[in-house]
Amino acid sequence: MAGSNGTLREISRRTALGALGAGIVGATVASWPRLSGIDIPGRGDNSLSIAILGTAADAAARQRVIDAFTKVHPEIKVKVQAIQAADWKDFFTKILTMVAAGTPPDVVYVATEGAQLFAEKLAHPLDDYLRRDAADMKEYFADVHPSLVEAFMYKGSLFQLPIDWNAANIYYNTSALQQAGLERPADNWTQVDFRNTLAAMRKARPQDFTPYYWTNRLFGGVVPWLYANGTSFLKESKSTGGEWLWDTFYGQDPSRGLRSGGYQWLESNADDPLVYESFDYLRGLVKDGLGVRPEEGGGNSLVGLFASNRIGMTPAGGYWVEGLHTAGMKEDGFDVQFFPRWRTQRHQFGTAGYAIMKTAKDKDAAWEWLKFASSLEAMRLVFPTPNTTPARRSMVNEQLYAGRGPKHWKVFYDTLDKFPTTGPIPAPPQQAAVETALMKNVSLAVSGDENQLKQALASMQRDLEIALRRQA
Amino acid sequence: MSTATTGMSTARRNKTGSKRRNGGATGSEKGKQRQRWLPWAFLAPTILGMGLFTLLPIVASVLLAFFRWDIISAPSFVGFDNFAEVVQDPTVRVSFVNTIMFVVVAVALQLGLALGLAIMVQEKLPAWLRVFFRSAFFFPLILSAASVSIFMRYLFNEQFGVVNWLLSLVGIPAVPWLTTPAGSAAVVILVYVWQNFGFSFLLFIGGLASIPTETYEAASIDGATGWRKHVHVTLPLLSPTTLVASVMAIINALQVFDQPYVLTRGGPGDATRTAVMVIFESAFQRLEFGQASAIGVILTLIIMAITAAQFRLSKRFVFYQ
Repeated sequence: MAGSNGTLREISRRTALGALGAGIVGATVASWPRLSGIDIPGRGDNSLSIAILGTAADAAARQRVIDAFTKVHPEIKVKVQAIQAADWKDFFTKILTMVAAGTPPDVVYVATEGAQLFAEKLAHPLDDYLRRDAADMKEYFADVHPSLVEAFMYKGSLFQLPIDWNAANIYYNTSALQQAGLERPADNWTQVDFRNTLAAMRKARPQDFTPYYWTNRLFGGVVPWLYANGTSFLKESKSTGGEWLWDTFYGQDPSRGLRSGGYQWLESNADDPLVYESFDYLRGLVKDGLGVRPEEGGGNSLVGLFASNRIGMTPAGGYWVEGLHTAGMKEDGFDVQFFPRWRTQRHQFGTAGYAIMKTAKDKDAAWEWLKFASSLEAMRLVFPTPNTTPARRSMVNEQLYAGRGPKHWKVFYDTLDKFPTTGPIPAPPQQAAVETALMKNVSLAVSGDENQLKQALASMQRDLEIALRRQA
Repeated sequence: MSTATTGMSTARRNKTGSKRRNGGATGSEKGKQRQRWLPWAFLAPTILGMGLFTLLPIVASVLLAFFRWDIISAPSFVGFDNFAEVVQDPTVRVSFVNTIMFVVVAVALQLGLALGLAIMVQEKLPAWLRVFFRSAFFFPLILSAASVSIFMRYLFNEQFGVVNWLLSLVGIPAVPWLTTPAGSAAVVILVYVWQNFGFSFLLFIGGLASIPTETYEAASIDGATGWRKHVHVTLPLLSPTTLVASVMAIINALQVFDQPYVLTRGGPGDATRTAVMVIFESAFQRLEFGQASAIGVILTLIIMAITAAQFRLSKRFVFYQ
């Protein structure tokens, strides 16, 4: 009995260990599918997954739009996935990582910075849907400036519908202007007027005050000055195509003749004498204590500094209004004006809208979301406050800015109407490399003597050439 | 009969004995086999984890260095092209030079500061204050480097930063800390050293505590006083600790990323761009994962070479009691 007991015990232990091992292997194999991203909530249930840049709170804020969409399309389930990122570049990287992991979203909210990267590699053109639903879409295009639409044209096809946008206008502190003994600048003020205004502000407030605060970024940094001076750090051209879209939706628009199949930035232009002139102007502002040496990626503290009356002027878009209001700035404490005129008064803008991914499970459902998101109903739900400029002209009205300012809120949309050549952020498919090449040389270019400026621009030219050679 | 019986019983006994012996040997072998496998069974989860999450990525990364891959399209084999391009890229070259310069200055400051403070805390302070300072100096290390860097970015802002405000109180004009090559390099080093010296400090505290007091007494009898005691007793006897501290400090410093990335984004120009920043930018901003891997391989080889050199040199300079 003892022997048989021993045998039983030995077999029992083996069996137990074997069963345990088999169980672990079996459980791992059985649960293997659960280890994939498909099982992340919303991914495996055929929902239309929509990725936006923002926090969970931003996703929650869209719930009203989702509810409204679901009423119209009860057959389409929608999940909004907010992806936190430092900036658009960081956001696109995270989307690409999702693509690499085999779990791409169906629809992504993409800003100008990434429009051509997505159009080149990831997004599905909207042309067929627009042709099919042209009658439905006429009202939308009639309410949206063609410059914004052209920013999302790529090689003759449209890839996104603009939802919001911002131009680089000039925000000024009204009390700083009054202290300097100045009136509101004229609509067609020049870069010389701008400098004189800064000098007057500096004279009135020599301490604890910065007349012109700007940051080293693709939007609102050096580029608006380059545009105003009739140049850019990349050579800009336009591709052909897209006539059907312009003829269908903008046939009567006065700027119809300007429209194209999309922007192209194929060559570096940092060696243009006008680029040198623009940088030299900014270098002069820094040298004379009128403007700051721009920090790369700075701007996080800018709203607080401006709201506490320590900054005279800064370039920003309509997205700033709500921030200033939240920071406690009264509606008459600040105002906006067009960017100063130089050789031109062309402005820089950035816009954003939804793109349908090539890999989208149900592109028709995705298109329905795009159509709904661009409707007046949806955009009113998304933009109850002026934390950006809605792409629809009809929404940029007194009601939106009531109690918040600025007094001359019309400047925002007038920028497009008065300066129809106003163009998007230069962002070719190699945007990340191009942005790095620009930003890393700006601080040096405006911080030293003429030699340093020349060296920085030569370095920028070389870096941009390398960046543009790279595959997108 | 009896003989036969005896013979039979002997044979039976032998058979039984042999059976027992065989049975015993089999059990013992199985036990030995079990003993041989048991450690592996216990080690298996760790080995599996290391294999999956450390070894496999290393091998994959080395292999990736020979491919062009943007994570969207399929990878294509390019041989040594990535290495050739990386070596020719002026930004990569500058970033490696910056990294080496950073290591030299930051590690020297880190170890010097840690050693000086360790001696001061260990020798000059009462026991209750020692405990406080040990924690206080180690504290920055447990903070997130990104959070510290964001905070420091505000402190060192040229226009509105506290540092320039303090300097203005003594009549020093505003320093462009983060927008000039020298200023930004100084801030990156300062922030890095402030955050990391605590680890070396603790190592030195441990090393100092292990030096027998008799050695100092003997040195005193021989006439050594003050700093001579430290030069002739403390430093030689701390040399094993110094070796460990310097190896770890150098390996860490060669991988510096958070502070320059958050404080300056590598600028102005390439003044504070480091090797790991270039790896990040290549991979996650330009989507050149092959080139990023190639830079990673080169950096790993440099780290291995420096560490090997340190251990080789240690035979001459490290004194074991």
